[in-house]
Amino acid sequence: MDDRLNPGGGVLFIKVGTHAQETLEKIIERKTKEIEQAGYSLWGYGGNTCHPETMVQPFAKGYERLGQTVRVLMQPMVSSHFAEPVRADEFSIDGLKWNAIPAAINVLGSRFALAIKGLRKAELELPLDQTVVAIGNSKGRRGDKYIMGRVDKACLEVAGPAPVPNDPAVEGTVAQIGLVAELVEPYAVYVRNKTA
Amino acid sequence: MADAGSIDLRLAMNAISDVIVNRPRPIRKIDQIYMKAGDMVLQSELVARWADGKRLAFIGDGDAISVCIAYLKQRNIIGYGPSKICVFDFDERICRAVERFADKERLETLESRLYNCLDPFPSNGKFDLFYTNPPWGASNDGESVKVFAQRGMEATGYTGEGMLVIADDPELAWPQTVLSAVQRFGLDNGYFTQKMMSRLHTYHLDDAPELRSCNLVLRAVPGNGSRAGKSQAIDDSNRLTNFYGRENPPRVKYVREKKRLDYGNALEEEYDLELIGSTNG
Repeated sequence: MDDRLNPGGGVLFIKVGTHAQETLEKIIERKTKEIEQAGYSLWGYGGNTCHPETMVQPFAKGYERLGQTVRVLMQPMVSSHFAEPVRADEFSIDGLKWNAIPAAINVLGSRFALAIKGLRKAELELPLDQTVVAIGNSKGRRGDKYIMGRVDKACLEVAGPAPVPNDPAVEGTVAQIGLVAELVEPYAVYVRNKTA
Repeated sequence: MADAGSIDLRLAMNAISDVIVNRPRPIRKIDQIYMKAGDMVLQSELVARWADGKRLAFIGDGDAISVCIAYLKQRNIIGYGPSKICVFDFDERICRAVERFADKERLETLESRLYNCLDPFPSNGKFDLFYTNPPWGASNDGESVKVFAQRGMEATGYTGEGMLVIADDPELAWPQTVLSAVQRFGLDNGYFTQKMMSRLHTYHLDDAPELRSCNLVLRAVPGNGSRAGKSQAIDDSNRLTNFYGRENPPRVKYVREKKRLDYGNALEEEYDLELIGSTNG
């Protein structure tokens, strides 16, 4: 997968940093090993802007039908996420049927997780003002108008260089991407802990 | 007793606070998204005034506006309100929360009924007005709104008025498409748009924090009651495929409440008590 952003393409944008008291460097190291051992990894997250069942799964399946994959673009940031590093031991695609998370994969302190492979460091820019929210109640809102405040992740469609009909662009709309990955089936899942 | 425009805001806010504490936590995947407290106060006063002396059916009511208006009137914070309120909801937690609150506060005008809007409506024509804040139909051009509106029209025998609380954002295409589709649905069923109050309400909605909703009031044309017939189940896949969002059709018949003796208190699974002088740690 190359790093070009083609109009119409699907991007799951997410800001990443310290999570559940673990530094980003440590997380990358651990996730890379998980992919080597299990063939994929689960990247934990929270918040309904990328809800597994109502957002990420239908978003990714739409691209799957087109023979395309969704790229996960991560923007490193300084953060202090103090959630308890409790390991999830089960995952579910639909919130009804639950399965054990493979021993090689550790999701800590999260309610949801993205299924990814091909995690690698990168240096590229994502012009958020050339994207639009692809699904949900904010569908059609320009990316730079959406990613602000507490909203730090989104299912986006690359809209190309043509202006998107919302408000005028503002400065600081280019996200500096430091990590990329490929979203793989089942794309996103609920996770829970039954033992802690 | 207060008239419109002269409400004691502190009393009203504290009453709404009582209602909020009684509400079950929302389930996001079935589109339970709660209105913010300040907007609930204003909305409750407005709905109580609109429905004064009338029989009002709520087609779903996670927000608990039904409870608010009954409670505000009972407490004499407002001097007007419906003569009867019935909440139809498929979430047993919501129905039981309504009943518990009504029992505790002696709200004799308020009741609830467990009902899934895909089933035939059980009380055709027994109400004067309906109110609904349905799934907003971002992925189905308002079809989910139409399903709830249809049940409201059946509740009122295709007469009277209905207040629909739906998305309203001039920056986005889909809310405008939905507003248009719902008004067309109203016209097709003998209703005209009597009033639209734009961008009134905000929500605990982290994936669209700026999104607001409006009150769209539909009124039946005179003689429209002749349309009323036997209510039918809704099973047309064209209406249901994207009901709760893209590729998310309804799968839940009812949300069932897990019965507890200590309702309203913190769940014991959430905490442990470490006693003074204990040797733990």
